[in-house]
Amino acid sequence: MSEDRTPEERRARGSALRRILVNAGGPLVFPLFAILISFLIGAVIVLATGHNPLAAYVALLQGAVGSPEAIGRTLLGATPLIFTGLAVAVAFRAGLFNIGGEGQLFIGAITAAWLGVSLGFLGPLSVVLVLLACVFTGFLWGAIPGFLKARFGAHEVITTIMLNYIGINLAYYFALKPLRTEGLVPGTDTIDIAARIPFIGLGLGRANYGLIIALLAAVVAYLLLWRTRRGFQIRAVGLSPGAAHYAGMSIGVNTVLALAIGGAFAALGGGVEVLGVYGKMTVPFVTNLGYNGIGVALLGRNHPVGVVLGALLFGGLYSGAQEMQFATDVPLQLANVLLAVILLLVTATKLVELVLGKRARALAGTHLDEGLGRQ
Amino acid sequence: MGEIFGAPGELLASTIRFATPLVLAALGGMFSERSGVVNIGLEGLMLISAFAGVVGASLSGNAFVGLGFALAAGLAFALIHALMCVTFEADQIISGTAINLLALGGTAFLLVIIFGTGGTSPRVEGFEELPIPLLSDIPVIGPALFSQSLLVYLMYLLVPTTYFVLFRTPFGLRLRATGEVPEAVDTAGVSVTRMRYYGVALSGVLAGLGGVYLSMGLLSAFTENMTGGRGFIALAALIFGRWNPIGAAGAALLFGFAQAVTIQAPQDLIPQEFLQMLPYILTIIVLAGFGGRAIAPAAIGKPYRKE
Repeated sequence: MSEDRTPEERRARGSALRRILVNAGGPLVFPLFAILISFLIGAVIVLATGHNPLAAYVALLQGAVGSPEAIGRTLLGATPLIFTGLAVAVAFRAGLFNIGGEGQLFIGAITAAWLGVSLGFLGPLSVVLVLLACVFTGFLWGAIPGFLKARFGAHEVITTIMLNYIGINLAYYFALKPLRTEGLVPGTDTIDIAARIPFIGLGLGRANYGLIIALLAAVVAYLLLWRTRRGFQIRAVGLSPGAAHYAGMSIGVNTVLALAIGGAFAALGGGVEVLGVYGKMTVPFVTNLGYNGIGVALLGRNHPVGVVLGALLFGGLYSGAQEMQFATDVPLQLANVLLAVILLLVTATKLVELVLGKRARALAGTHLDEGLGRQ
Repeated sequence: MGEIFGAPGELLASTIRFATPLVLAALGGMFSERSGVVNIGLEGLMLISAFAGVVGASLSGNAFVGLGFALAAGLAFALIHALMCVTFEADQIISGTAINLLALGGTAFLLVIIFGTGGTSPRVEGFEELPIPLLSDIPVIGPALFSQSLLVYLMYLLVPTTYFVLFRTPFGLRLRATGEVPEAVDTAGVSVTRMRYYGVALSGVLAGLGGVYLSMGLLSAFTENMTGGRGFIALAALIFGRWNPIGAAGAALLFGFAQAVTIQAPQDLIPQEFLQMLPYILTIIVLAGFGGRAIAPAAIGKPYRKE
């Protein structure tokens, strides 16, 4: 690439796709590229199965944002993903890969299902106490892989995966044995309506104020990472453990804290699901929220604002897919296929380079520049 | 013992049945990880193969056609993983997570498209139990070990084969070297990219065998998300067995035993949730270094760039 060309000249080159994406600005190149390609692949799949892709996508869009009810469903779906996305993003900033959102969410959910019933007599005050308890248990649970990494060097990817299944089984044990109640679906007792998170109303269906809590959590994550000394240390460890260590920061302490804080966010998400949506923990409970948090965080480039946007996209896709199935008979599972393709492409640096040219790649940086793989 | 766990032969037989998919997928993961590519997509590779096997068997009425479909699907998905991680230098953990999600969504999607039903596919021709003459007549262990499906016998053969290939052939040496010191392999004139493609491709075929055993050996139908975390248990077995075929098979047998006990032991003796945690807890313990550290191949997880 020659250096004497003006940006305008460079911008004028290439296909329309390339122009749109490059002009969209650095940080968005990877996510937009991944989303676009994914929808193209999705269209081919829909076409191959004998349906009209345009009709399917129109129904998808309507189901995502076409009515207050649709928007409510989108917001409802996005809420837990903001939490699990933050759980991944905060750890990522320390150079750590938190695959443990699933288990952390379950730990929060069972905490809320248990305390929500026992403290239910306190009414709204109970909501505050229960959610604080979720933060606490999630923090401790999240600290386990941090400790295992800092003390024994056990890789957090594997330990968090293993802890997912341990956490899920632990939560199910409590829901099925000590906390079990009589009922059609096995699970815990229902929490008193006064001790739950209220609905927003406004025709938004079951969307509840858990969304506001999620947005507040994103603000807290931002302030923590960029406005506190601890956040600076966490990011420094992620960017360059060697330099951070040389500057007198403890890699171990920041490792434990980053994963513990991540755990707290995911567990808070579990608590909000129980208090805002289900009112109890059933077996089986909602799955894949933790794993989807990984996609949300990566699409959002591990920034709290990006996480919120990513979660809204995921929530919208799942919500829209229901309408799509209803209106066009395209199975709603297409949403997971689209999301999987997005996830597959979002870190494929070489592919972006190939399609959009080196400039776009350099402009965008990579997702890996902000921490991943450094520790 | 007898009255708690049933006949010892029965316990052994179900241990083998539960362990088989884990052993196969763990052996697959070994080829991938030994070549330096993390494969947390084993779960998805198993799931897509379990589904493809049922599709093939349903279309043809022949279990072996199903097997062919399953292996092809496992291979195809593994190649997507290789393409992303090796060629496009995408993050290996992310790609693996995406493979899992793609298999979960894709199989559920195609289940509706192909069979017109959600949840469970129609029954298909599976791999029935095939007692080996003479061997299956040995008391207790005969029926347990040698009155199983063809895929189980294949698993018996694949454990020593994998060991031999990995440690006694030039291919195995190159593969292991690619996972430890890719620079040296490159210098010796062997393509790191090609070795990694081989490793990941083999993981797809073997995990595919494990997957098809679920839908056509244990059951004769596909159900949504039927792997239910077995790919991750296989990953655990791989690590618990320290990236060694014999060790991984041993670990998978242990985990299979835990599952067999879970099913057979009376509920109130040990809560089954705790038994199900066992593989994961044991894996964390060895990762933390108790009883000898489990050390991964040195170059695992890193894309290789030629200087």
